[in-house]
Amino acid sequence: MNDNGCIHLNNFKAAKGIHPYKIVHAFFVSCTSYEARRYKATSCLCFTCGQPGPRMHSCLHCIYFACYAGHIQDHSKSKKHFLYVDLSYGNIFCAQCQDYIYDRELTEIAMSHRLKEAKSLGISVPFMPWLPNNNEALALRRLRKRRLISPHTTIGLRGLQNLGSTCFMNCIVQTLIHTPLLRDYFLGEKHKCKAQSSGKCLVCEVSKLFQEFYSGAKTPLTLHRLLHLIWTHARHLAGYEQQDAHEFFIATLDVLHRHCMNGVEDTEKKENGRCNCIIDQIFTGGLQSDVVCTSCSGVSTTIDPFWDISLDVAGPGSLQACLERFTRAEHLGSAAKIKCSNCRVYRESTKQLTLETLPIVASFHLKRFEHSSQIDRKISAFVSFPAELDMTPFMSSHRRAVDVGATDNNNAPEGVFEDNRYSLFAVVNHLGSLDAGHYTAYVRQMKGSWFKCDDHMITRASLREVLDSEGYLLFYHKTVLEYECDVS
Amino acid sequence: MTVNNTIAHQRLILSGDRERFKELLRRRLIECGWRDQVRMLCRDVVKENESNNVTFDMLVTRVTPRARALVPDTVKKELLQKIKTHLLTQKDQ
Repeated sequence: MNDNGCIHLNNFKAAKGIHPYKIVHAFFVSCTSYEARRYKATSCLCFTCGQPGPRMHSCLHCIYFACYAGHIQDHSKSKKHFLYVDLSYGNIFCAQCQDYIYDRELTEIAMSHRLKEAKSLGISVPFMPWLPNNNEALALRRLRKRRLISPHTTIGLRGLQNLGSTCFMNCIVQTLIHTPLLRDYFLGEKHKCKAQSSGKCLVCEVSKLFQEFYSGAKTPLTLHRLLHLIWTHARHLAGYEQQDAHEFFIATLDVLHRHCMNGVEDTEKKENGRCNCIIDQIFTGGLQSDVVCTSCSGVSTTIDPFWDISLDVAGPGSLQACLERFTRAEHLGSAAKIKCSNCRVYRESTKQLTLETLPIVASFHLKRFEHSSQIDRKISAFVSFPAELDMTPFMSSHRRAVDVGATDNNNAPEGVFEDNRYSLFAVVNHLGSLDAGHYTAYVRQMKGSWFKCDDHMITRASLREVLDSEGYLLFYHKTVLEYECDVS
Repeated sequence: MTVNNTIAHQRLILSGDRERFKELLRRRLIECGWRDQVRMLCRDVVKENESNNVTFDMLVTRVTPRARALVPDTVKKELLQKIKTHLLTQKDQ
């Protein structure tokens, strides 16, 4: 099967052009506007029998609608109109060839209508696999080296030398390297450095690191250049003593985010007031804080960006319970009065945190280290965490619906089609005590394939082992990605 | 189709919810591997009939019953429940 259509379709196109197909497709296959949906809703019935199916088709010659149970065929025969369009999928049937036929030009029209339809409905654009263009196809033919990815493949896995208590860095690097979307970004060579002085950009360094991890070599890597770069840009982490992996993670994201912005024009930096660098696209979510005055019930709402969520571990036994508590309304008491903008005096109030927007990677920090003036201690309480996590209950929109008792809201179209499922892909663990500890990381290499990274040693692990571990930092990746597109 | 059914159907198209549900179904069928299974079924039919000219109609007749049976109950239940609640909440407005 090729995509050059057939002689009959080509003759039709030569005589009447692509306009008839375009109209039928935009109004009755992929409705690109509300008006189109109105036409589709009221007129997609068989002109012969009045039924809405099975498999409605439209004659391409005279826009006669008929079902595939015989009526479109009757019409085709009696009028000698041999081309008709399937109204569910937009494919063209040629009665002379007796089969559906493919035409590249019309396929492209159909695709652009599908994008416009998704935009008009406010839903995610369907995933479109990468198709190499002519240049890329040529390059693929020229470069004959191929790597086969099998379930037993170990490509992308490399140990990291410990440079003297740098396990906190190693486990964060392993996590970043195994962040699916970050990997795709760097292996796709999307970072185009605009910094003036090369060798000082951490993003370039991470880009090189991805090449090292995926080179196929198996010897452990030494990250002295990366460590040096972070020391220079996050001075509080400099020195050879053990650092907190969480602090290192946040500092690394911050330096990466700053370096992404190097040399970028101010006008390109922001999109709807939000930074669009790869770090913010993947890791940034919005935390909503609602402060309600107990006297006048006035609500003051603020939304702040976040890269991770720090959770108290004393008490609850599971990640979900921690999140439940994190998003519960909290009474601030008489000692913490806040000036109500409505009453214009200091009032007692309640405060509730919820997630307004979710990042693609949700990072949770279990607060296992307690530092106070009296005592520094580690809390080793067991907190279970799932391999698959639905974040819907912790969203601002959901919480609001629950609070006003309007459970119906969950069935509103947005609720039905919203997909907030996340999958675990990395866990950082702290072993030992506060002053003599060691960090290791579990990373997911492919679906269902886990490895334990202990500095230079990489060993296969089971999901059970991962879920039974203590857990200090937990990393979840959005299970289903939404796609956006630019269509006019 | 009764008059009520037709109206419900038209409303679903008009609001765009029919497309939204279709997209949801499409996602679920891809996630659970149904689409890949059906692709294999089609491949088998084409292989069995290598000597003949395989047409779309023939493929549909042969594959549809088996493909329908392969749709997981969980997917059917989810869609049924969501469409039902959606239609019921719509009515009140």
